[in-house]
Amino acid sequence: MWTTWLLILISIVLGAGAWLLFVWAVRSDQYDDVEGAKHRMLDDE
Amino acid sequence: MATCEHCLLPLDANTAIREEVGGREAFFCCPGCRSIYALLHAQGLAEFYRRRTGWVPGPPELFAADPDALSDCVVEREGEHEATLAISGIRCASCVWVIERYLGRKPGVSLVRVNHATGRAKIRFRPGSAGIAEIASWIRELGYAPHPCETGELEESLRREKRDLLLRFGTAAFLSMQVMTFTTALYAGYFQGIEPKFLAWFQWLSFALTTPVIFYSGYPFLRNTLAGIRNRAPGMDTLVFLGSFSAYAYSAAMLVVGGEVYFDTAGMIITLILLGRYLEAAARSRAKESIGRLVRLAPREARRRMGSGFGGHAPRTETVPVSSLRANDIIEIVPGEKIPADGIVIEGASEADESTLTGEAGPVAKGEGSAVCTGTVNGSGRLVVRVTQTGKETVLSRIVRAVEEAQARKAPVQRHADRVVGWFVPAVIAVAALTLGARLQWGDPPLRAILVAISVLVVACPCALGLATPLAVFIGSNAARAQGILVRGGDVLEAGASVTEVFLDKTGTLTYGRPCLAHVDGFGLAPREVLRLAASLEAPSEHPIAKAIGRGVAPGELLDVSAFKAHAGLGVEGIVGGRRLFLGHAKFLSLNGVPVTGAQEERFREISEARRTAVFLADEKQVLGLLSSVDELRGEAEESVRLLKKEGYRVRMVTGDSGPVASRIGKEAGIDLVQSRVTPVEKAEIIGKARNAGGRVMMIGDGVNDAPALTEARVGMAMGRGTDIALESADAVLMTNDLRLIPRFLSISRKTMRVIRQNLAWAFSYNLVAIPLAVSGNLHPILSAALMAASSLMVVGNSMRLRKA
Repeated sequence: MWTTWLLILISIVLGAGAWLLFVWAVRSDQYDDVEGAKHRMLDDE
Repeated sequence: MATCEHCLLPLDANTAIREEVGGREAFFCCPGCRSIYALLHAQGLAEFYRRRTGWVPGPPELFAADPDALSDCVVEREGEHEATLAISGIRCASCVWVIERYLGRKPGVSLVRVNHATGRAKIRFRPGSAGIAEIASWIRELGYAPHPCETGELEESLRREKRDLLLRFGTAAFLSMQVMTFTTALYAGYFQGIEPKFLAWFQWLSFALTTPVIFYSGYPFLRNTLAGIRNRAPGMDTLVFLGSFSAYAYSAAMLVVGGEVYFDTAGMIITLILLGRYLEAAARSRAKESIGRLVRLAPREARRRMGSGFGGHAPRTETVPVSSLRANDIIEIVPGEKIPADGIVIEGASEADESTLTGEAGPVAKGEGSAVCTGTVNGSGRLVVRVTQTGKETVLSRIVRAVEEAQARKAPVQRHADRVVGWFVPAVIAVAALTLGARLQWGDPPLRAILVAISVLVVACPCALGLATPLAVFIGSNAARAQGILVRGGDVLEAGASVTEVFLDKTGTLTYGRPCLAHVDGFGLAPREVLRLAASLEAPSEHPIAKAIGRGVAPGELLDVSAFKAHAGLGVEGIVGGRRLFLGHAKFLSLNGVPVTGAQEERFREISEARRTAVFLADEKQVLGLLSSVDELRGEAEESVRLLKKEGYRVRMVTGDSGPVASRIGKEAGIDLVQSRVTPVEKAEIIGKARNAGGRVMMIGDGVNDAPALTEARVGMAMGRGTDIALESADAVLMTNDLRLIPRFLSISRKTMRVIRQNLAWAFSYNLVAIPLAVSGNLHPILSAALMAASSLMVVGNSMRLRKA
């Protein structure tokens, strides 16, 4: 039985982690210029 | 012809700079280009020249912004300073690369990001080791110009809105996915049995995870619902909130009473509708950015004379921002420059291209005492102008104000979905109330009656409804974009579907907006030879007619010209193949003692009557030929008009140009309804009249004079090469200036609208099934979820068909 609780806990922690990462990405302008990244990738050799 | 090593502009043999670089010769057009070239090589950034593709030849930017204005762009962030600047002169992706590389290795600079789409740069630096003035000078060293970034309030609020929407959507998506996990367990439990302990836990966890979705992600819907109730105008948001909140409240009640919960429905409604909103906002802001790139930075600088310049001293000039010009200032305007203020010519002779302001295709002669207008383009001569009006009083500003007034008057297009929802919401509330009343009447216990009534509200909100419009619009505008049509918003496609009348501007829209060679007469000389001599003679000239003649001859055929001299407003002279040649009006020839015969005069008059611009070519003894040029109809204009007429649209032309030219172009294009000699304000009035007569009007134009009409029309469409103000006031832009895109746009609009209608019908058919079940009290959560998923998938699949529109 305790494995069910553990899995629930893990899923919530993972979900919260992904959400925090997303909030950080939005706040640090990661979504502002989605076009430039592909050019820049080719530039950095 | 040799070109400058840096900027790729053709070289002028007299002023070119020659230099030995790495054992080979390199030529530069100016010291600026040479120093940039040297700088890039010294810095190991010469790769710039190898990697650049799509570079449009053009000189380095020289504009120096006011340092105070630039320091206003600096904000403090995380202990460092961050400057957001608009950079002009960016021509290709390689420019972004070179700016990021060069600035990035300067001491004190920690981050450089240049957005190629918007030309915006974000530069972060440590205030101790670098300053904004230094950063500006580094950018200028590379041949680009930093400007203070005018983040308009509108633009900033749009950006904030988009980011806010993304956060709310993302949060809702993460939480709803978690809720889905538990809901799946609950479904399994429904069929196989589940321990009551787990049932309670999963339901309570779902409750905890759904609460932020309703109150944080769903907050905009809550706010608009309250506003909608206050204004007694229930809209889409009212329906969304009603549906999701009643599902949430019903489920919360079930937690206590015991029963099935609908938390997943509550969360998914909000998530999917936020996704739709975000897609729509993203499409709109992308179109806005692309249009922003077309809007060139307006002339913000002027050459003002310092002091009087009398008393034998050559007058010195200083470069000042246009905003600091005052009436009675004396300014100089060099050939090809945009005129920065309204004024009176006090010295010099030239001609101005006023077509964007008046619609008149030909150049207008300017001499002492003529008035010049802001935003028109100077021709081949240098002018000295006394400023009469600046800023808000110029002719240009008056038109801008007319546009703003029209914009304020313009009622937003009522979206199809809103129209449907307008009657749907009251109907749903009525059904819910009737259910409650009827069940109480027939002796149901009050709690049971209330729960059934709420379940009607829950299923009434189809989440496919939230996706129906935005998804179709998103895919439709991407299809339009792929073909070169930028669409500013979803309502534009909806409005485009209802258009019945198409109004076209003439100069620059139906025609190329520049003179093209029309006819060559030879007098005792083959026309081919006349053209070759004229093109050789005109090669150094910047005059629009000279360029038209030049396009008629292959570059290899040109002869060398020496002793070239341009007499502004009259003509040019020079020595070609050892012969002294003149090209210009009859008056210019007689000034140089060349006789013009009666027959030649007659031919000249004939051409002028057809409103073509003609020039004579002569040597020192006699007239050799006559060349005429005209603003030609675009190659695809006639075909486009025919297509539009075939589709059943009424096509009309409105122009500021005179009657004979207008009717000739109208006839060539196949347009019978032509209105000429129309002022900018009258153009807008004509559109307004057509609208009041019941027509749904689309206007296509490019000039300043079209801007009020573009705003007045239901759909305003600007040519990609149009003036800034036309681009700004248009709802859609033809990137490639191809008129055949007008019928394409209208067809994409109609297809999009058809898909929207089908989507809405699908979304509502879900309700047709679900509402009766809810009223009878037999709706099960699993059935409700399955129906919802099916109708959403149907909407997504149907919208995808637009990709091939």
